[in-house]
Amino acid sequence: MEKSTLPPVRGLVITHGDIGRELVRVTEMILGPVAGLTAMSNSGKAAPDITAAIQAWLAEEPDGSAGATGQSSRKLILLDDYGGSCATCAQLARGHDPDCAIISGVNLAMLLGFVTWRESGDFENVVGKIVQKGREAITRVGGR
Amino acid sequence: MPVVLARIDDRLIHGQVTVGWSEQLKPDRILLANNAIAADPWQTRVYSSTVPPKIKVSILSVARAAASLADNELAGERVLLLTGSAEEMSELMRIGVPLSEVNVGGLHFSSGKQEMLPFVYVDHQDLKALGRLLEMGATLSAQQVPGGREYPLDKDQIREMGDQF
Repeated sequence: MEKSTLPPVRGLVITHGDIGRELVRVTEMILGPVAGLTAMSNSGKAAPDITAAIQAWLAEEPDGSAGATGQSSRKLILLDDYGGSCATCAQLARGHDPDCAIISGVNLAMLLGFVTWRESGDFENVVGKIVQKGREAITRVGGR
Repeated sequence: MPVVLARIDDRLIHGQVTVGWSEQLKPDRILLANNAIAADPWQTRVYSSTVPPKIKVSILSVARAAASLADNELAGERVLLLTGSAEEMSELMRIGVPLSEVNVGGLHFSSGKQEMLPFVYVDHQDLKALGRLLEMGATLSAQQVPGGREYPLDKDQIREMGDQF
């Protein structure tokens, strides 16, 4: 698989409650510790505070520090649902940043795909593969 | 009066509104009264995009929203009226929107606010505005979602809360 020369894509899972934290925890349970994958909850926060927290994450350096070396990093935000405060705040925080993509409907398969493919070249291609993987994971596996 | 729910919620248009209350009340339109968002086409587009297609959405300044309700522009429509603060809801009433009930749906923690309920954090300004809503004749209750616990809010509770600051 072709490796990118850019820093790895960072990921932020934003959800209601603790869904995101659990998804990240289980991802690490399966694949081992993962750098650059963080969870954030909207619990107890007003919309401006959620937006500010996402903006702070977006402004972090690829290594997770809050410095400002100007090194660009590609970022992927994964949301649990489209239409809630997580989605609205993510869009407002992202603005028109071309290095940040947002996907809704996060599931475990998408996070496993994210970790597996995030260094594999073209960002748009990686994002597309993660969406496809997530859709494929939603399937009837039994009954009737 | 076409307002089926007047709600104060600092998350503005989100799941509790577009799914929770909208599935229950079947509004024709969500009317968000917010000066900053109404003045910003980008934010207006983002917030509007989260409303299901079957529900119309208007994002207007507080003054324009009040005029639109007072002038009966939305006659025949079931309107879910939304503001991000008690101050804005109070301003709507002050300039002529008659509201008999106001739902306090969510005022989250931020610096300087104290807990009134697990989903209602207030400061002096919030308490003054809630007091004004009561003085103008609205009844207040805090309730996040349909079927959730409803907490009536009265003058004494607001005064006692104010004493904690």
